[in-house]
Amino acid sequence: MMQATGFQRCVATEFFDSFAGTSKEGIARKYGVRGANFIAFKD
Amino acid sequence: MEQFCEITLDRERLKSEVRTTYTKVAEAPGGDFHFHRGPEYAARQLGYDGDELAALPESATASFAGVGNPFRVREIPAGAVVVDLGSGAGMDCLLAGRRVGEKGRVVGVDMTDAMLELARKSAAQAGMPQVAFEFGEITDLPLADASVDVVISNGVINLAVDKPAVFRDIYRVLKPGGWIQFADIVVDHELSDKARNDIDLWVG
Repeated sequence: MMQATGFQRCVATEFFDSFAGTSKEGIARKYGVRGANFIAFKD
Repeated sequence: MEQFCEITLDRERLKSEVRTTYTKVAEAPGGDFHFHRGPEYAARQLGYDGDELAALPESATASFAGVGNPFRVREIPAGAVVVDLGSGAGMDCLLAGRRVGEKGRVVGVDMTDAMLELARKSAAQAGMPQVAFEFGEITDLPLADASVDVVISNGVINLAVDKPAVFRDIYRVLKPGGWIQFADIVVDHELSDKARNDIDLWVG
């Protein structure tokens, strides 16, 4: 989606277990919902 | 691989629900929500510097509800113009303000009045005139073309139904050579149509 907009070098750099310990932890684990860091450039 | 999911839910209702939820977070960050809030969570699970957060006004940190840590992606240069999409109570803007310094500028954009009020109060309390906040939506940023060096965001783009429109507007406001470093949620498994169109799962 980002590349279709024109962004270059789109990379996910890190993942986080952001929902661990919340009431939605079970759903997050079921669907693989995680936080992630990204970077992309406008060259 | 590109994936575009068909979303048929009521977009205006979703926007209203997002505003309602984050107004509640601003007014009572210790309330019952399905997502974590606050500086302890940010330090413990997302790798923020706890000492740096402790130095910020509580009004900025208590309502923090991000899902990752954009500051771990790349250093933000001194003097840069930075925009935070969905800036909430302003925690990430104040952290960015420390990095850009007095010669830089940070603009937080949010569509929730209660969060903007907290954020402006926090920036004043922190003594950071280089940090300002604007009312706006992330699909129609109140910023000029090619005026921004770095865009940051944390757990907000997932709340927009029209994500291609968000990225088009980010691209518009970035200078050539600029970049976006952001955090958001990802889903490893395909969601059902029912799940994709369930507003409760979008905003909790």
